[in-house]
Amino acid sequence: MDSPRGSGQRNLNTLLEENGMFRKFILLLSILMLISACSPVPSSTSTATETEPFNPQMPSATPVPSATSITLTDDLGRAFTLTTPAQRVVSIAPSNTEILFAIGAGAQVVGRDETSDYPAEAQSLPTIGGYSGFNLEAIVALHPDLVLAQGGGLNAPELIASLEGLGLKVYVLRNPSTLEEMYANLETVAQLTGRESETRTLVESLKARVAAVDQKIMPLSYAPTVYYELDATDATKPFTAGPGTFVDLLISRAGGINIGGTLQGQWAQISLEQLVVANPGIIILGDAAYGETPAKVAQRPGWETLAAIQSGQVFAFNDSLVSRPGPRLVDGLEEVAKLLHPNLFK
Amino acid sequence: MKIRPYLYSLLFLLLAILLSIAIGSVFIPPVDLGRILIGWLKGAAFAEPLKTFAFILTGIRLPRTALVLLTGAALGGSGAAYQGLFRNPLADPYLIGVASGAGLGAVLAMSIKWPYSFWGLMAVPAAAFFCALLTVFLVYSLARLGKTVPTTNLILAGVAFGSFATALTTYLMLRSTGELHRAIAWLSGGSSQAGWGPALTILPYLAIGLGTLLLSGHALNLLQFGDDQAQQMGLPVTRARTLILLAASLATAAAVSFSGIIGFIGLIVPHIMRLWFGADYRRLLPLSLIGGAAALLVADLIARSVIAPQELPVGIVTALVGAPFFLWVLRRAKNQGYW
Repeated sequence: MDSPRGSGQRNLNTLLEENGMFRKFILLLSILMLISACSPVPSSTSTATETEPFNPQMPSATPVPSATSITLTDDLGRAFTLTTPAQRVVSIAPSNTEILFAIGAGAQVVGRDETSDYPAEAQSLPTIGGYSGFNLEAIVALHPDLVLAQGGGLNAPELIASLEGLGLKVYVLRNPSTLEEMYANLETVAQLTGRESETRTLVESLKARVAAVDQKIMPLSYAPTVYYELDATDATKPFTAGPGTFVDLLISRAGGINIGGTLQGQWAQISLEQLVVANPGIIILGDAAYGETPAKVAQRPGWETLAAIQSGQVFAFNDSLVSRPGPRLVDGLEEVAKLLHPNLFK
Repeated sequence: MKIRPYLYSLLFLLLAILLSIAIGSVFIPPVDLGRILIGWLKGAAFAEPLKTFAFILTGIRLPRTALVLLTGAALGGSGAAYQGLFRNPLADPYLIGVASGAGLGAVLAMSIKWPYSFWGLMAVPAAAFFCALLTVFLVYSLARLGKTVPTTNLILAGVAFGSFATALTTYLMLRSTGELHRAIAWLSGGSSQAGWGPALTILPYLAIGLGTLLLSGHALNLLQFGDDQAQQMGLPVTRARTLILLAASLATAAAVSFSGIIGFIGLIVPHIMRLWFGADYRRLLPLSLIGGAAALLVADLIARSVIAPQELPVGIVTALVGAPFFLWVLRRAKNQGYW
């Protein structure tokens, strides 16, 4: 009969049987693990050494900042330099796509993520991923000279690192928390794409529109309470926009009081009991895109006592006007103002 | 016809590797593939569009193939080891909580904003790895009775810890603001980072873990007779089981730290290899390694190309494709009732 013990098995059995040897083996194992944890491993952020920097538009040497070059600091705190304005931009966030088209750089965009549905011209661009991950091959095949990402958690750091490891230039826009920061983002993208003059006009017009809203709101002595619904899959515990969100900011700016503003977290959950006590004067359905209508809301059990439902002040709303940090936030402000003060804003 | 298990498995693996490199969301015509290959052999430089294609092959597909190969091998090998260790056909590498621990570690790390540097990017995989091993250690300590570690205790403690960790993970995900999408993507499985970094990082752990497992074939064979019998046949049972458990968990923890939780490979590949080539663990372990690598490569290939340019999470593909395939193999198995 063939001996079942090959040399491998013999060594293992010896290992297991001898007391001292077993302990030494476990010790060796632990040391090896520690060493391999500390050993220098080529990282994907140390670019340009392992894979040749892939940039057909620009020379492979590090661009020397000249009089016409653009140097900026992005959201990750890195100095970012372009020798010429970007002509082939891939946008991996819907707000970035909107910004690029709004400042007149639409012709310079070569790829978008699949959630970028505005403006209509953007929908004819090739998509490179979105919900279930991004397609690195497709991005590389588009030969971009700039990938525009968004900070604040929308684009994962691993994605940024992977793109840079492939030699692409990625600029991460800071996630704005005020309208002024949003204007600053518009100006940043303008610098990156060489659209400074158009953007100046755009920012001026945006500021004028916001000022017009402010002017009409200022003399008012009352502010309606507003409940902005983000998700009501469970109608007894719906989600509303909490403090620190743009929804909260825009409702206040439009002369309303967001009842979610006193709750915790940006995606704040409110119970039906709290909602009944707060009794908002106006209900705005930010989840209209998912099929919620004022008629359906009126039929929810327990909601019929709300003043807003009894007076018919329930409105469907296009959530992308207030959730994407781009120039359409001003559109969102005007729409919210129209709902809150219909007599002032026609 | 003599069955040559290693030859067939290695050929299939080679085919899977070649397909994984040749196929992706960007269509590279086979003619161009041939030209690129000849160009590499000659050492020539490429002109467009071959240059882009060559870059995609070496910069994106090759590192991803390497990572997926290593992950699949780790899952297949440790799946076979767990099934032998627990003498249970439903055992998979996540039985004693490696997956739940890794998930908890990863989601915890995702809720902290790390600096954008090499170590900052390693935070999530490192946390997943560390928490996976910590879970195994805790489960092992809880299940131990004196000097022995009864199998039932291990499984029960593993299930309890797994549920606890999963509940914590779900709670963290509910409370998260921006990281929910990232957490779900990680938990569904799939390679998150491109480049050679992940594959090279997990290689030492896999070498140690899988190397130990490959030497444990005889011990696992003896353990199939039961702990008492194995002890009487001369195997130091507790030590052998501890070592095999440690090695398999190390390999699994390293595999899931970068690739997320990919199910079915560790459960089904050893069964298929057992049905085709017999239950001798000296042969089953290397074959499960090879089979796991090939299976995950095929699953990853399908995940990348079926709805290109979008990608399906690999874990979904392994379940959707793996389960029917396994049922088909089961029905066709000549030696039913082998277990």
